[in-house]
Amino acid sequence: MNIIVAMKQVPDLHHIRIRNREPVLDDIPMVLGDIDKSALAAAVELKETTQGRVIIMSAGNRKIRDTVKEALAAGGDEAILIEDDDLADEDSSVIAGVLAAAIQRIGDVGIVVFGEGSADNYSGRVFSAVAAILGYPQVGYAKRIELNDSLARVTRSLEDSDEIIEVPLPAVISVVSEIKEPRIPSVKNILKARKKPTAVYHLNELCVEVPAEKNITTISNLAPVSRRKGIVITSVDELAKILKNDRKPDRQAQ
Amino acid sequence: MDFTLSKEQLLIRNTARDFAEKYIEPLVRRIEDENDVPRQIIDRMAELELFGIQFAEEWGGSDGGYDGYVLAMEQIARVSSGVSMILSVNGLGLGAICTYGTKEQKEKYMEPGLTGELLASFAFTEPGTGSDPRQITTMAIREGDSYVINGTKRFISNANFHGPIVVFARESESDEVTAFIVDKFCAGYSISEAWDKIGLKGNRIVDVYLKNVRIPAENMLGKVGRGFNILLSGIAYGKIGISSTYLGITLRAYEEAVKYAMEKKHRGQSIAKFQAMQLRVGELAIKLEAARWLTYRLGCLANNVKDPMTFAREAALTKSFVCENAVDVTRVAVDIHGSYGVMSDYKVQSLYRDAIIGPQIEGVGDMQKMIVAGTILRE
Repeated sequence: MNIIVAMKQVPDLHHIRIRNREPVLDDIPMVLGDIDKSALAAAVELKETTQGRVIIMSAGNRKIRDTVKEALAAGGDEAILIEDDDLADEDSSVIAGVLAAAIQRIGDVGIVVFGEGSADNYSGRVFSAVAAILGYPQVGYAKRIELNDSLARVTRSLEDSDEIIEVPLPAVISVVSEIKEPRIPSVKNILKARKKPTAVYHLNELCVEVPAEKNITTISNLAPVSRRKGIVITSVDELAKILKNDRKPDRQAQ
Repeated sequence: MDFTLSKEQLLIRNTARDFAEKYIEPLVRRIEDENDVPRQIIDRMAELELFGIQFAEEWGGSDGGYDGYVLAMEQIARVSSGVSMILSVNGLGLGAICTYGTKEQKEKYMEPGLTGELLASFAFTEPGTGSDPRQITTMAIREGDSYVINGTKRFISNANFHGPIVVFARESESDEVTAFIVDKFCAGYSISEAWDKIGLKGNRIVDVYLKNVRIPAENMLGKVGRGFNILLSGIAYGKIGISSTYLGITLRAYEEAVKYAMEKKHRGQSIAKFQAMQLRVGELAIKLEAARWLTYRLGCLANNVKDPMTFAREAALTKSFVCENAVDVTRVAVDIHGSYGVMSDYKVQSLYRDAIIGPQIEGVGDMQKMIVAGTILRE
């Protein structure tokens, strides 16, 4: 059984600086998002119990070949990449079409695992769209997955309860970060990652048409302005009074 | 010339950093207070194969090169220099065995030494001598197929763990300094209480007493009279570990100073707004980068330089600069913290204590400069 983990290459958030309210993305190293890494860790654990194979799938610009080594070091067996320099700017419906086309080329698919949202845009839409295109059942917000030959038993993490459901395979599942802590790869696995099989497709090979006109245009991407109130408090009574007045509307809102 | 780290190098650095933050950081206070590294840290380092980065796969290493080793050590020392010193000394002892040992010696010690099952030591210094091999008094007396060793070795790291210790002694038949491998805690091996040094907590150093320690003659490392060469080569490569450790200390001092300068308020504004602080932070950044690239360069040279004298010179000048630089950087970082900088709740005070040890160990600073000058003024 193949366990596919869809992972997105994103700028390393630790290195991003904000200048004039806009993120400076030049020369920022690309990494895989933390929830994606949790999804991978869960997939690697499932592989160990099901004797499956973990295939990393990712679409992005040419840096993706380097970025994916991180996933191969952390337990992926092989990678399938869709490489195109324009893909990074495409919206989730296009990315979903591209991933679905690539998944259709893989036999014996058990589950396709996504993080619940990417570390950059966090739309959480791609997994649903992939499931719809492939006609697979979809389950969101999984915090536990158990597999047998034909079924996935999934515990969903809802706001104030857990829901356990079963779906036939193949299925598309999005996971929450608590499903599994990301694995720290060992040094040998890091160095062996470069030798693991990596297939690279280009869009024309997948026969996927990318619309000439983009469906979504990003007009601006500005960091929120945060201003501290700068209140000077001179006595405990005054502090108590301010806290009381400040907190009242919040309590009412709840 | 390309100063860009490869993806593999970045991942090794990230593995070490993630490991250090997740597994060492929560225990740093305990390491400082007890001057001991909990076993679970050593076991976890072994699982992540951090002990064997610089060694060949043939002997159980990861083949990550000394460049990978430097990157990992920097990140571990950033959190605990005591932990990184355990790695450094293990690499020093195993490095000597790997370079000069017989096939049997390597088979016996390399793999257990790289899985954390055994931890190696390197024992040259004695109560009567630090850097001069002619003053060595430890004796190895040949008795048939054995050697019987007697002597005292001073300031020895990892001597409290089981594993091999490379001992330098005067071989009885030649009266020449020769290296031997002794299994720690064999009959006649004992250690003192740990020296109470001011920093590098967790890295216990003790005196080792060898009293009628009998070892088979095949435990000789290299040949009779070759001890001085093994010593010079060993300590040269050992300087990669200590330079990386002091780079990690420098990095953390810089980070702590910047964080404090941004957070600390004076008359309603961050002290980072004051030019006096800006000059200090600028100085720290310059000194960090200088130490970093000199150390990274040493890691690359260790992979490539074949001539031991050339490498010894590069190792000496790197160790000398990085360790003395760390004293300057941590001192300025304390300054930026003001009175808080000497309080035990603040990391920067322990970094300063760690830093001032650097120029005094694994070859004092003046000795390093003499090695460098010796290669220039030889003619």
